[in-house]
Amino acid sequence: MDKNKEPLVEVGEFIAEYTSHMMGCGIHTSRVIRSSKRIAEAYSYHMHISVFQKSLILTLHDSETKEYHNAVVDIPALPISFEHNSELSALSWETYDERLSLKALREKYGKIIAAPSIHPLFVLLLVGFANASFCRLFGGDWISTGIVFSSTLAGLYLKQRMSVHLNHYLVFILSAFIASLCASTSLIFDTTSDTALATSVLFLVPGVPLINGVIDIVEGHTLTGFARLTQASLLIVCIAIGLASTLFLVKDSLI
Amino acid sequence: MIAMDILSDAFFAAIAGIGFGAISDPPLRAFRYIALLAATGHMCRYCLMAYAGFEIAGASLIGAFIIGLGSIWFGKKVYSPMTVLYIPALLPMIPGKFAYNMVFSLIMFLQSIDHPVEKVKYMEMFFSNTIIAATVVFLLAVGATLPMFLFPKRATSLTRHKQ
Repeated sequence: MDKNKEPLVEVGEFIAEYTSHMMGCGIHTSRVIRSSKRIAEAYSYHMHISVFQKSLILTLHDSETKEYHNAVVDIPALPISFEHNSELSALSWETYDERLSLKALREKYGKIIAAPSIHPLFVLLLVGFANASFCRLFGGDWISTGIVFSSTLAGLYLKQRMSVHLNHYLVFILSAFIASLCASTSLIFDTTSDTALATSVLFLVPGVPLINGVIDIVEGHTLTGFARLTQASLLIVCIAIGLASTLFLVKDSLI
Repeated sequence: MIAMDILSDAFFAAIAGIGFGAISDPPLRAFRYIALLAATGHMCRYCLMAYAGFEIAGASLIGAFIIGLGSIWFGKKVYSPMTVLYIPALLPMIPGKFAYNMVFSLIMFLQSIDHPVEKVKYMEMFFSNTIIAATVVFLLAVGATLPMFLFPKRATSLTRHKQ
């Protein structure tokens, strides 16, 4: 037996944490499994894994000593992060290519997950411009574009503030309602108000789980794929409820 | 004038791609490629629909495929997985207008249950918009994922620094 080999249990604990973090921050299933197996392979272990939406089960196997390490881990609900997607995936390759020690791997992992994300105010501005551009793409005029910009700021600011305290679905309903209600001010002006209303809530569309869900299904991870699509559909229903509440109030002006 | 229309479409798609991408916290080095891919994909869809007689579903599939190909190319430059580049770039192509019409027609349908002619009109509007919105979203994901199956080795080693 190789005396320098990293202990099975410690490698298993790290991979469980790494895998659940990757699943939690919105990375498609096949990449998560590939990256985790790569790390196990780097330490000369074999890994088998089953991934579900809320938990995962993994077994690490040492073929020399016939030892097994099993773990069932909850997947945390984390904000989507493409930065973590890139860096954690690159970390698995680095571990594989440069045979990092477990200590060095843990340090690098800690640095990646502790790195600050983009400032919420900066995100707010960028999303405001993005949704306003969306309005232009759908044929809205400049007045509608300005209204959509300010509606998006109001809706997203509310979402950022409420996300900490309130249920996820309620947050989506309220944000969609506020954003579309602000956009309904376009009815006062002679402008493309239906385009303004339509685009005001689009910043809420859960594009990442929608696309990840389809990727998972296409790649054969049907369970997680459908779970992601179901989650995304529920959020879309919430957006529809928020938008519908505004439309109920202003529908007479729209027909 | 045509060139102006195409360029403004690309410009607004790029801003939309950057903004919607920012919600998902991408690496800073990826932003310019996200903008480039969003602009190219959306511009391509716009040209196909406006000048080549394509309908939204087919044009979206081709636009998404081009974004997917671009993400496999640029992914290696910024050591990012394909999805990090192509998901934000696809977001400006989400059929928001059809999704809105879906919600609007559903409400109007519920409001006109006692008026047979209007009821049928809004029901037809609801189903046609739902089918278009769902098909376009599905084709966007499939189109962008296709290059992953065409070049599997490259697609799974984009974040590897060692050649």
